Amino acid sequence: MSSNSVRRQLLLLLAALIFLCRPAAAHEIPVSATLQMFVKPEGQTLKVLVRVPLTTYVDGEYPRRPGDYVDLAKVDPSLRAAATITVVQPLKMYEGERALPEPRIVSTRLSLDSDRSFADYKSALAHVTGPPLPQETNIFWEQAKLDMLLEYPIRSDRSSFAMHAAFDRLAENLATAVQFIAPGGITRIYDLHGDAGLVKLNPSWTHAAWLFVKMGFHHILEGTDHLLFLFCLVIPFRRVRPLIPIVTAFTVAHSITLIASAYGLAPDALWFPPLIETLIALSIVYMALENIIVEQPARRWIITFFFGLVHGFGFSFVLRETLQFAGDHILSSLLAFNVGVEIGQLVMLLLFVPLLNLLFSRVVARRLGTIILSALVAHQAWHWMEDRFDALSQFPWPAITASGVLDALRWVTALVVLAALVWLVSLLMRRREQARGLSGQ
Amino acid sequence: MSKFSCSRNLMIGAGFAALLATLGVSQLALQGKAEAQRDVSAPKFEVDPFWPKPLPNHWVMGMTIGLWVDSNDNVWIVHRANTVDRTLNQADRGLGECCKAAPPVLAFDKAGNLIHAWGGPGQGYEWPESNHGIFVDHKGNVWIGGNGGPDSHILKFTQDGKFLAQYGKAGARRKAGAAADATVEASQAGFVGNSNDPDNFGRVAKIFVDAKTNEAYVADGYLNKRVAVIDGDTGKMKRYWGAYGNKPDDAPLGAYDPKAPKAQQFRTPVHCADVSVDRLVYVCDRVNDRLQVFTTEGKFVKEMYYKTDTRSDGSVWDIAFSKDPEQKYIFMADGVNENVVVIARQDLKPLTTFGDGGNHPGEFHGVHSIATDSKGNIFTTETYEGRRVQKFVFKGMGPVTKFDQGVPRPDSK
Repeated sequence: MSSNSVRRQLLLLLAALIFLCRPAAAHEIPVSATLQMFVKPEGQTLKVLVRVPLTTYVDGEYPRRPGDYVDLAKVDPSLRAAATITVVQPLKMYEGERALPEPRIVSTRLSLDSDRSFADYKSALAHVTGPPLPQETNIFWEQAKLDMLLEYPIRSDRSSFAMHAAFDRLAENLATAVQFIAPGGITRIYDLHGDAGLVKLNPSWTHAAWLFVKMGFHHILEGTDHLLFLFCLVIPFRRVRPLIPIVTAFTVAHSITLIASAYGLAPDALWFPPLIETLIALSIVYMALENIIVEQPARRWIITFFFGLVHGFGFSFVLRETLQFAGDHILSSLLAFNVGVEIGQLVMLLLFVPLLNLLFSRVVARRLGTIILSALVAHQAWHWMEDRFDALSQFPWPAITASGVLDALRWVTALVVLAALVWLVSLLMRRREQARGLSGQ
Repeated sequence: MSKFSCSRNLMIGAGFAALLATLGVSQLALQGKAEAQRDVSAPKFEVDPFWPKPLPNHWVMGMTIGLWVDSNDNVWIVHRANTVDRTLNQADRGLGECCKAAPPVLAFDKAGNLIHAWGGPGQGYEWPESNHGIFVDHKGNVWIGGNGGPDSHILKFTQDGKFLAQYGKAGARRKAGAAADATVEASQAGFVGNSNDPDNFGRVAKIFVDAKTNEAYVADGYLNKRVAVIDGDTGKMKRYWGAYGNKPDDAPLGAYDPKAPKAQQFRTPVHCADVSVDRLVYVCDRVNDRLQVFTTEGKFVKEMYYKTDTRSDGSVWDIAFSKDPEQKYIFMADGVNENVVVIARQDLKPLTTFGDGGNHPGEFHGVHSIATDSKGNIFTTETYEGRRVQKFVFKGMGPVTKFDQGVPRPDSK
């Protein structure tokens, strides 16, 4: 064999290897998609109805007829395959701690994009178990929805149930709307995004409380603006003890507005979150400036209380989505969240105070150090305030109406009542200090 | 405690009490007025200035001339890429980095992300000279009309932009012997309406596909003067009618005059033909400043006039129904008076308006199309210099305190 021939064959082999080894074209997932689920335990069966848009599974094989429409006479095996890949495999259901085995696919249906059967459980069940679309319907796979009924064997419909749906591979932004229908008909609704992890569908109050304690703890540790506010509070103080009433006032105040917001008493206007974010930044600027101007800030707990009211609204925006996981235990979950926040704050205090003491004893004098640190914080918070005010100024000002003014007066009344209570507490504390002073003499 | 601090504390306490008393009295005084205002209530909206998200690729929109929200709450618009100002499409002309005309058909998800972008001339169909109107039907197919000179047809695509069907042919309204011309004005002059054509249209403004019967109601249109109903799968003409259910007549009517007797034919453009849940067809007779209502068979039921002194392009541009099961309200876009009118569907009486002319969020310049999503939010598009799509978030029912609310500011609640 000539060397040219060998070289040609090697080149051909190389080309073949490159061709065969090129990366497979990635399946494009849609930017957004919504799944709907109903979960209902009945006797010894857990019924799960799911609707998934087939834009999430466009690579599936399916029979076609002229015009590229789905051949509805032959599509059933493809629907079962799609159901297995999109839902059955990524979905894990639990009864208590026990993982349930893979379900039986009782029924699948191809539905029009505009079908409204999944508005409630009864009509969804009737649709999935009823007659399929007429075979002559012209429908494209990517413009259709796949509906399915799955059944899991369970021990009792009174057990506690959980699910883990790793559906995040189906779309970049996947929303799953889940309705859990307990025996007796009570329905809980969950709005999940991406892979929400293990979701308890009928949580006990202890589970909900623990979840929210953790959430509160993490939220304060991850919230830069809340941490900076806390930092500003702490800078002028050398010991933890004087800080406890200040931090407690903050916690009491944010609990009030957090609970008010969770029960729908806060404004729901679009401008309200940007207003609160701006005021939070303003609160940090204020505290930092007070540290600079006043060497020994007195009765700091009073102003902290009022700023705490603002921060409470800020926490509520975060909790809005996660409050659904509280099930029936909203109030205890909110209180648990506050406990988590308080624990997180105390942890940060225990960290900040020794660090500041170290800094002020070894690196820079206390007063100068307080001014420098506060100036840095004020600078950062000022920029935040400017950015957030820019966003706020995109919204038109509220209309002034009689009912609007009435609502505003009610809020002012609530503030005045709080201010009166704060003043009373302050009066009592001063009398106690005076009494202590006299007895010490 | 000293006498001074005692009396100071008393004064502070009295101050709080006086303030609370004042607030209480003020609330009592306002209570009656607030309750009176609550007698008339209407859906409330608040503009979301951050929807949609900015387009990628330095894309910009021209006159945004069609809008629909599909069953997944995705918002579809069609705009005229060829109307992007030459100072804004410099990238298209190789003169700089910004910007490029976006493809004509754009779709956004609920969060405002762009999820589809396609359209324009292609093989096997005649893209409209001036696209107008977009609708996504119950099967997910996308319908597009056109109101350019030679446009007398409708196109249908999949959501990915694959061509499915064309109903009618372009150029069907051309006068015998008239030559095609490059300018829009000249090309408009060479055409004549035929509102009794069973196969072609006359510059379609909007298409609405009725899911129950799979029939498409065509607002036909800028040259013809009818509502045409065609089969949703074949495009075959089923029936059509003119104003008051009359046989349509293309004889010119002259300029609109509010003092003249009611016109017995539509004036062009017939700008919308939407079907309600209780099987009534609402038709936008734009320049005649009226909304006419028919049965699905074309029998006249009733009509209402809005701001009859509005001339120029008229006051009744487009409508959308509220999302409650009874569709109690109609939201009407008025592109001359630059507002959205909230109408009680039962008696067609206007309850309130929101919006004003301008370029800021909540203002309009040529509000043209309107649609609602499953949550009751309103979306609008603008032609002329507006050239955008806006979202107005539904904030529940609220008292109507004045008829013209101006820019949809939120209540202070």
